[in-house]
This record gives sequence, structure tokens and C-alpha cells, in this order.
Amino acid sequence: MTPLPTDQPRTVILGVAASDAHAVANQLICRLLRAHGFHVVNLGVCTPLHEFADALDAEPAAEAILIGSVNGHAYADLRDLPELRRQGRLDRPVVLGGNLSVGAHKRSADLDRLTALGVDHIVTGLSELLPLLDTLHAARQPAPQHG
Amino acid sequence: MAEFPGLEVSAAVAARLPDWDDIVAYLRNRPGDTVPDVLRAADRSGVPAIQPRCGVGGHAEMLALLRELALSAPSVLSVTIDSYTRLRQFDVAARVLAEEPARLNGYPLVAHGWQRGRELADAVPVPLEVRHGSPDGRDLFATALAAGITSFEGGGIGYNLPYCKDVPLDVSLRSWQQVDAACGALADAGVLVDRELFGTLTAVLVPPSISLAVTLLEAVAAAREGVRCISISYPQGGEIHQDVAALRAVRTLAARYLDPRVEVFPVLHQFMGAFPADPAWASGLILHGALTARLGGASKVVNKTEQEARGLPDADANGKGIRLTAVGASSMFDFVELDADRVAEELHWIEEEVAELVEPVLAEEDLLAAIGAAFRTGRLDVPFSASVHARNQVIPRRDPGGAIRYADHSALPFSGATRRRHAALLAGSAPAPRPGPGEITAVIRDISYFADRTPARTP
Repeated sequence: MTPLPTDQPRTVILGVAASDAHAVANQLICRLLRAHGFHVVNLGVCTPLHEFADALDAEPAAEAILIGSVNGHAYADLRDLPELRRQGRLDRPVVLGGNLSVGAHKRSADLDRLTALGVDHIVTGLSELLPLLDTLHAARQPAPQHG
Repeated sequence: MAEFPGLEVSAAVAARLPDWDDIVAYLRNRPGDTVPDVLRAADRSGVPAIQPRCGVGGHAEMLALLRELALSAPSVLSVTIDSYTRLRQFDVAARVLAEEPARLNGYPLVAHGWQRGRELADAVPVPLEVRHGSPDGRDLFATALAAGITSFEGGGIGYNLPYCKDVPLDVSLRSWQQVDAACGALADAGVLVDRELFGTLTAVLVPPSISLAVTLLEAVAAAREGVRCISISYPQGGEIHQDVAALRAVRTLAARYLDPRVEVFPVLHQFMGAFPADPAWASGLILHGALTARLGGASKVVNKTEQEARGLPDADANGKGIRLTAVGASSMFDFVELDADRVAEELHWIEEEVAELVEPVLAEEDLLAAIGAAFRTGRLDVPFSASVHARNQVIPRRDPGGAIRYADHSALPFSGATRRRHAALLAGSAPAPRPGPGEITAVIRDISYFADRTPARTP
């Protein structure tokens, strides 16, 4: 696959985890990304993981899957990630941000088990997001061939 | 099977209800004050009626809760409905009720049945209102009527966009149209139903003109179906001049746009956003809301509790919230006088903005279709809703005084004068309102305006 022409907007898929109805950060991040020229497919609140996979099938040019979770149930909501990846789906960097487990103090064990599920990047501050997307873009490998 | 005029009730629910004529006869002869009686008395006295939210799963527990709260002398009590019933999952509600009623976040009225509802209504000396959040509340409404409850919250916009991701507005508006038509039939039969419209919406920095435009459109639609008593709720934003002006605007807008046969009552919802965790700050905010309600001429105020930041309050905290609200709405604070010019200025602009939002919609032939179309194109919008049927592109911010302004009005059809005013009022808010990490931090800070008022040392 040839790299995307530079005048094409970069596409990302954005949404909030399945059990989470918090719209505020989702909509503000969507607005931020659009203001920086991204084409954002925003799936909104309460989005099951398989709908992220469906969205990627529909928008194969997407560079990353950005999932927000602020209700502390990220692990439960992302449980199906290994299975989807085994099926060859969601083969883009999965970036997770928000408030990732119940309780005020995050333990590295909470983050480790999310990484073990296959989450590629965990963003802990808003200012990290755009630089991370630029890094991913620069390092972008040709997408794996299917079939 | 019971047949209701104008109201389609599902067969399973209708089969369990009394006949319409029996319901009407029961409602006409029910002793005691109704919610409209309470609201009229509040308007006469200048002291707002007070109502807590309350709902637990078990019937005995709900009876006990209502009786305990009644000791704090509220004017109206609530039957707050659980999430399964709101989504019409009556079987799930019944199963959870049988297995573990404490797991329900409200009272499953349909699962309990109208007979138990009458026991609730008869257990306390004040009228009840059903509060829920259903995009389609028809079965619940029929059950509430049979239970003797004639105050019912909700509307086709306010009970859809903040609560649902993917229910088309046309679906919710048409189901609420049927509820309103049944209220019209009841009014003709001499039974006045109080229909409260949920102007609080997402409870996140809702600009007054959006809240008032939404409830006004719902009110016009309700009045066309024959509804004769409408409570219009508005969420306390926290800047008292703006809030008092918004409450007064409920009455001036009703006089301008509604059939004069409709009685309209402004209701203040004490701050519905992120609440301070510290009980002292939380109590201060409750008192502030009560005073706002009185100064704004609200007919009713729905109280919060000092446990708000933690989740559902216990009965003790809720009783305290009722009593604290009564103090704040009493003559104790009569010495407080607001700058009348500042309130008048806010009122003028709120009326102007609401006119700019609603008049194009009201000019259309099919009001309900016009509302759906306006939300699709962004000529109406709600900030931060969960729904895919609204644009969700309006960005509100607080100005340096704490009032809620439009940082980005997106496609709302505001005049040049309105836009310039909001831009000027926000000019002092740093950082400049434009998309970026700084803007996100600033909006979140505005949302946490009261929640942040917490001492450094918390238990």
C-alpha cells in the first residue's frame, strides 16, 4: 500500500467504551481533532468494541482507534479485544484514555492488564494525544495484507 | 382491557389496568391537594413549593422512604422510576425486584402495579409526581394515572436527547404527543394533570436560551393537544442574575407563545452538574439554589442533598436538603436584593435568543417534524447530549462572573447582535475560546465550577 497523499485528511475512529455514557470529553476531543484537520469518525457514547471494528472496516484508511473510558470499567468493556484481533480485526493502534479503573489512585497493575489485552497506548493527559498521533503517523507501516 | 383516549398502551400493561371511566372517576373524587393546587398556593404566597427526588426498588422500602421524607414537610414528593422501567424493560424490572430490589435505582411502578401505586399516594399528606427519563412513557403514564398520580415529568426532547443514544426525535415526540392528548381528554373530563418539562437537559453548562427554547417548544406542542397545566423546569447554572432572569423568562415567554388557557409554573432544579463533595459547600449551594428560586419567582424548587457528589442520597440527607431549601426560600433572606438592571438586561437577551431559536420552528406547519429537522441541521442543539439525533456542537463556557455563555453557537440561528454579545462577554475568559487542549481544560474547569470548591483536606 502506498502512503496516503498528504492533502488527504488523516482519519481516526473515536468513541466511548460500551458501558460509558459520558459525552463531554468525547465531543471536546472530536472538536479538537477536527480543528487540527483530522477526519473523525465519532461513534459517540456507549459503543461496543465490535462497533469500533465495524467502523474500521468501513473506513480502512483510519490510522488509529481512540477509545475513551471514564467510568472505571475499561477492562470489562475491552475484554473482547484479543478475540477481535485473533479474527484479524481492529488491526490499528488502539489508544485508550480517560479514567481507567475504579478508585482514585491508579495502580500500574490496572494499566498492565489493559496492555495485556492489546491496548497499544494509554494516554493520561490531553496534551499527549496529538503528539502521539503524529508519532504513529510517522511510524506507520503498510497495513497488513488480508486474504 | 382498558382503552385510553389518544393513548396507545401496550396490551400487557393495559390488561392489568382499570377501565378509563373508573380511572377518571377515581381521579375526580380523590381527596387532598393536587400538584396544581400546591403550585397555585406557592405562587400566591411567593414561597416556592419544595420537592425532593426519591425512589427505591422495594414497595415497603418506598413507603418507608416517602413517610420519612414527609416529616421534613416537602410540598410534593417524587416517585423516581428505575432505569429498566424507563426503557420499558418491565420484565427485567420485575425480575430484579424479585431477586434483589436494592439493585434498582428507582421504584418500578409498572412492575409493582397501580394498586401499590395508590398505596404510595395514600401514604403521605402531599401529592406525588412521577419522575423518570423515558423517551416513551406511555405505559408508565397510564399506570401512574390508575395509581392516582396526576403529575408526570417528561417530554419528547428533554426525555430523549440527554438519555438516549439512538431514539429518533420523531419517535419520542409522537409518543409524548399521545401522553399530552390523554391529558387533554382528562382536562375535558375535569381532571387537571400537571405536565413537567425537563429543561435541565444534559445538566452540563446548559445555556438558558437552549433550556427555555426546548421546553417552550414542548409546551406549545403539549398545549395543542389540550394540556392545561405545564411546569417548566430550568436548571440552576449558578450565576444568580442569569438564573433569576431565566426563571422570570418562563412566565414572559409563556405569555407570549402559549394559549392563555394554559397555566404555567416555573420550576428550579437546584444545581444538577458536578456537586461539591464537601458537605459545607454542598449545603451552601443548596441554600443558594433555594434563594435563587424565591428571587426568580419559581413556583417549585427540586432540591439536592449534601451527598450529591457521592450518588443517590439516603433519606436523612434528603430530608436535610428539603429543610435547608425551606430555610433558603424563607423570608430569612429577604434583605437580599439583586441589581434589577442587571437582571432586566439578562431577561431581555434571554427572550431575544429564545425568539431567534423558536420562531423559525413555530412558523412551520408540522411542529413535531420541524423540531426534528431543526435538530438535524443544528438550528436547535443541546450541548454534550448522548444522542446521534442532535449535532452536539454548541460549546458553552462560563464568563468571568460565572454566567453561562455561547463560546461556539455552531449553527444556531442567532442574530449578529446576540453573537457579538456572547463573544464580548467571553472576551475576558482565558484562554480564548477555540478548539485545542487549552479549550478542553477550560470547559472542564467550567463544568467543575462548584465541584472544585472543596477544601484541600477531605475525609
